[in-house]
Amino acid sequence: MSCPPDSRAAQELRSGAGGGASLAMASGSHSLGLVHAVRSRLQPGDLVLRRSRRYTALRRLSLALSLALTVGAPLWQWHTRSALAPTTGPYGPVGAVSFFGVELIDPLATISVLAQHRLTLSLALTGLLGLLLTAFLGRFFCGWVCPYVPLLAATNALRSLLNKLGVSPPDLRLAPHTAVGVLIAVLVVGAFFGTQVWPLVYPPSLIGRELFQAVYFGGFGAGALVLLGALSFDTFISRAGFCRSLCPGGAMYRLIGAASPVTVRLDVPKCTSCTACDVICNLGQSPMTATVDEGCERCGKCVAVCPTDALSIGLRRKGARP
Amino acid sequence: MKRRHVLGALAAAVATGAVSRRAAATPTLRPPGALPPGEFEQACIGCARCAEVCPENAIRFGLGSWLSGGMPTLETNAAACTLCMKCPAVCPTGALLPCPPEAVHIGVPELTRPKCLPWRGEASCRLCYQVCPYPDRAVELVGPQAAPLFHAEACVGCGLCEVACPDRAKAIRIVPTKEPR
Repeated sequence: MSCPPDSRAAQELRSGAGGGASLAMASGSHSLGLVHAVRSRLQPGDLVLRRSRRYTALRRLSLALSLALTVGAPLWQWHTRSALAPTTGPYGPVGAVSFFGVELIDPLATISVLAQHRLTLSLALTGLLGLLLTAFLGRFFCGWVCPYVPLLAATNALRSLLNKLGVSPPDLRLAPHTAVGVLIAVLVVGAFFGTQVWPLVYPPSLIGRELFQAVYFGGFGAGALVLLGALSFDTFISRAGFCRSLCPGGAMYRLIGAASPVTVRLDVPKCTSCTACDVICNLGQSPMTATVDEGCERCGKCVAVCPTDALSIGLRRKGARP
Repeated sequence: MKRRHVLGALAAAVATGAVSRRAAATPTLRPPGALPPGEFEQACIGCARCAEVCPENAIRFGLGSWLSGGMPTLETNAAACTLCMKCPAVCPTGALLPCPPEAVHIGVPELTRPKCLPWRGEASCRLCYQVCPYPDRAVELVGPQAAPLFHAEACVGCGLCEVACPDRAKAIRIVPTKEPR
């Protein structure tokens, strides 16, 4: 495949590529400035911007729909609830949504209830679609559906602000398998006490309940404290730390989606080692070195930021490094 | 994905199934159609759909007992259940199962006679009897003062009596049942 002629941005980066290695050593938060520098050199006509914009637009649409459902369902029920009129959907947070008769329960809920409760076929079927999608696409839920995403974006914005003010929050990187430990703990403790514990620490469930509490009673419950804890952790201690290393849902989706054939692919000849992709990744993946594991949420930010269009998301190529 | 991750996940699944048990849950007032105490906590995922569809706002999410904080309770001291039976229809996991209204068993009535106006001989109140969906079965009026006599086996625990009881009395309330009926 012939390489397209270098865009203006790529040429500029090649000339400055000597600084790439040292920039890779910089801490996560500071290097976001590099991302801004790269983006500001892109011209509207650059091919890379047009193609990646579609991907980003699709993801933002998906997140907008998810948020509309999460916020809209309690509002809709609040306004239309009536003892006499039939209940119409949609209702439920994204983890347990019902859209005019079609039920979609997230895999964590399905597996946890099935393990503890009766094995009902209907429950297995409602969780099946989420399970199959995750097995094929990996932990796409985290990047495309989870209502925590806009909150995470807010914590990243806060971190940038704190950096600009001269206060650099640390970026403590816990091992990703910490989340697997959390998952096992909540499942086993829950099973032992005969109850479901994960809804108390899983953001889609927490956000759904807290929104209900806000719409119906104008206040917040105990779940808001857990959310605040996660947000504080993400702002002051570890960038996207909750999603990356604590969320039990994320751990479940990583395990189910570990064999996903869809991944971020690197076209090595086009790569200028500018590290913009590594820096922009919330989940600590390294597309630049083609080291993308099951923790990748296929958000496409690395694809969008790459100035030479060296990255893409698609089916894993035969013989490519995992 | 390393083999040890797969083995670890399988081990966790087996462990979860092995230790899974129906715990002796603290009896709580649950929405109508709820599974018995212990089973309900295993099935409920805290999605709040039951509370969303309740026209009476009777289903609430309090702090609850520890570990069951994210689960719904029926707050009869705030609002009563009118047995519209919409909540079991929207429950995604079957923690609430559809059933006919008369088969509902939220709780049992607990009357404090020293507080009840007719039992004190102060007034012929009769409000609990008038609002009860199963009069002469769940509650009947006895004696010259038409005082209420509750029958727990016929009571669905809706709490209409609790809401109707005058503020200066507040003699009747629904309490969780210790054993399933």
